[in-house]
Amino acid sequence: MADLMLLGLFDNVETTADVIDDVRDLGVSDAQLEVLSNIPYPAKFFGLKTPGLMFWPFVFGGAILGALVAYFITFITPDLYPIHVGGQELTPVPPTAIMFFEFISLFSMLGAFIGFLLQNRFPILVREMYDELITDGYIGVQVQIEESVAEQVIGVFEKHHAHKINRELASEFKPQGIRHLFFWGAVAGGGLVVMLVPLLVSYEKIPLPWINKMNQTVVVGYQEGPRLAAPEEAVPFQGPRLIAGQPGTEPLEATESSIARGAALFQLHCAICHGETAQGDGPLSGYYTADHGFPVGVPALAGKGYPGSYIFEVVTNGRVGQTDDGTEFIKMPSLVENVSPGDTWDIINYINSLDAE
Amino acid sequence: MLESNAQRGPYWEQTTPEDERIAHQIEHGREEHLLLDPRPPAELNELALATMKKTGPAFWIAVLGLGSLSLIFALTWVTQIFNGVGITGLNRSVMWGPYIANLIYFIGIGHAGTFISAALRMMRMDFRRPIARAAETITLFGLAMAGLFPIIHVGRVWKLFYMIPIPNQRDLWPNFRSALFWDMSAITTYIIGSTLFMYIALIPDLAMARDHTDGWRRKLYGALSLGWRGTTGQWHKLEVVSNILSFVIIPVMFSVHTGVSWNLSMSVQPGWHSAIFGPFFVVGALYSGVAAVIIVMIFVRKVLKFGYFIRDEHFNAMGIFLFILMIAWVYFYFAEWITNWYGNLPPEVAIQEMLTGPLAPLFYLMLFANIIVPLVLVFKRVRTNLPAMLVICIFIQIGMYLERVIIVAGFLSRNELPFNWVDYVPQLPETIITIGTLATLGLLYLIWTRIVPIIPLWEVYEGQAMQSTRRVGRAVVSTRTDAH
Ligand code: HEC
Repeated sequence: MADLMLLGLFDNVETTADVIDDVRDLGVSDAQLEVLSNIPYPAKFFGLKTPGLMFWPFVFGGAILGALVAYFITFITPDLYPIHVGGQELTPVPPTAIMFFEFISLFSMLGAFIGFLLQNRFPILVREMYDELITDGYIGVQVQIEESVAEQVIGVFEKHHAHKINRELASEFKPQGIRHLFFWGAVAGGGLVVMLVPLLVSYEKIPLPWINKMNQTVVVGYQEGPRLAAPEEAVPFQGPRLIAGQPGTEPLEATESSIARGAALFQLHCAICHGETAQGDGPLSGYYTADHGFPVGVPALAGKGYPGSYIFEVVTNGRVGQTDDGTEFIKMPSLVENVSPGDTWDIINYINSLDAE
Repeated sequence: MLESNAQRGPYWEQTTPEDERIAHQIEHGREEHLLLDPRPPAELNELALATMKKTGPAFWIAVLGLGSLSLIFALTWVTQIFNGVGITGLNRSVMWGPYIANLIYFIGIGHAGTFISAALRMMRMDFRRPIARAAETITLFGLAMAGLFPIIHVGRVWKLFYMIPIPNQRDLWPNFRSALFWDMSAITTYIIGSTLFMYIALIPDLAMARDHTDGWRRKLYGALSLGWRGTTGQWHKLEVVSNILSFVIIPVMFSVHTGVSWNLSMSVQPGWHSAIFGPFFVVGALYSGVAAVIIVMIFVRKVLKFGYFIRDEHFNAMGIFLFILMIAWVYFYFAEWITNWYGNLPPEVAIQEMLTGPLAPLFYLMLFANIIVPLVLVFKRVRTNLPAMLVICIFIQIGMYLERVIIVAGFLSRNELPFNWVDYVPQLPETIITIGTLATLGLLYLIWTRIVPIIPLWEVYEGQAMQSTRRVGRAVVSTRTDAH
């Protein structure tokens, strides 16, 4: 069993090659030899065989994985959620080609990189024979030999004027083994956990502290949900409007879904003045004072028991008032452009479901 | 003469020949060419590490200045997130403004980095050696900045995960038929590929830094250099993996800026809907990118005082490269313009009238900066004159930035429906964010130069060890050893 490690440092290729020849003559095999340098000298400079390597399984493996990812994006996801746009098929050829190109490139590069790490057993997690002068341009010849030939090898090193000779017991160096695999295993595990985060966010297992669903934002939320499911209670958009002097017609039944929609619409169209719970305390209510030329205040609506037709009329026509000197001003704007008759009845149902505070 | 002469003694110790004429020529060669002027690696390592460790007052002032600009940028972005993109000057017709122009610009300057490294590496161009990493760094941070802009632009940043092909509660998947998704996958591929490529070439230099520093730096470099010792096997694998990545990354590089251009040209917006946009953008990106690399080279030489590594020969080579790219860019721009002009389609005429009308100052400044100014590059005296190069390259940056703004915000303000014609005026938020990201790029770059050797030392050493001179008659010429 080989039990000594020697590292001789030389300052040029020529001498190093001579040293290697002489060391070989002492019966040291190539497997016991290692040349260390700070420049990519090819092994043939030292009369050594070019070290073997195997990148293609990594590159091709990566390419296949990339192709699978591209396949997933181009064939499987459109199938899971078909969106028909621009008169295109679900998997048209040109974009598919781009996807395959990009993902095959990406994963083959990743494959090559992983191949580089694994073949070198990086990261090295054990101590190895080394000398810091190597990065200063010295070429190191590392020999692992039995005690008995040590003196002879040192003799060779000295004959060739080694700049420095390091000598250590081979037992000092533990083999790297598969430590790097454990390392990358841990990294991969950590990476998977991190990648879980967007997944959990997207399923709202980790709720974000602000609105994250487009369908629930005020602007569009009311268009979704029950309305799609319950068309029978909908009032046609072009349905009977307000006929001058007559009450609004065709009320909607105050179902739960109607009240829910009304609540959302109320927040959108009315709450700014009448307040979130229709108590007359919305953000704009402070402006309805004599100072601002609106000496009216905003009334509370909750619990007043106004007939639906009355509310319908106010919303449709708005309210115009007069100041003391006779100029007209809009007390409440007409909202007929903003809310359809059906929406208005939803709002009315919501208002009537509220209690006074 | 053809007899091989084995040299004993380190490659950095060269004997001066007796003959005075020859000696003089060799001396001259050493002055001119980095690769003919080898010095002991120990000395050069020390030089590189000293710069990395040096953090004088000027450094801190620069960090403070750039840092505060970056902070203002961050605060502006937060303001925009809370208030919505409505606070910018974007409007219904000009829905893509400086944010997208910046995206194109930053990806553009990021282009040259990997091109110089990968393509010139494949072509065995030795002048790339000392500048490769400075260039790759622009790629890295340029792409990082570019990657910010779609995020800044979308407004609702918290919905970003919809872009990733992972399942979500609404069963929505990214639509790969959208040009935006092509672009996103190209940029992702490129940024990952460039980072790997850069990191691999960095490992031996990190090992060098590990060997010659102590304290936190030694620990950091020790971890990052992964236990590199420089065995012949490790070097061999490093070379092969770099070659593989180079081969893959060159087509990816083309796809990235083509992808960016397709974001525009896949729409039916007049002026955008052009088949030439892909190559035109690639050339434009290389053009502004090479100019950006030259600016960084001036910084590395003058501010970091790496005059030994980056010499006139490198500026000369890059200057020629820049000139060629300028010609290519002019050709594409002209081809694009003449097609539109001859076609005489009303919406495109409207765009031309706007460029030569209200936008004329910007348009002509762009042409002046991109075409007229760089013409002086024909002179070698200009190419090796750093102040002149700096001015030219800054002009090209301005010119190419304007080109992108004109194409994005300018073209969008005219379209097929005249009632949709809206002019765009940049507002404070996008102005701050644009300046701020430039500052952030500078800041990251500056910090980076203190953390990694900005010169790929081992590549320089390799070049120096493999380069020598040969006497032919009375002249001394340099010869390059092809070790493979
Ligand atoms: C711009 C502020 C504003 C908005 C928005 C607004 N209102 Fe009003 N509303 C007022 C003011 C002010 C009055 C008091 C008018 C008056 O004194 O004659 C009023 C009065 C009313 C009244 C009559 C109350 C009474 O005591 O006679 C009703 C009913 C009403 N609003 C319903 C609504 C509904 C439903 C909406 C939403 C669709 C709405 N308003 C949106 C400002 C607003």
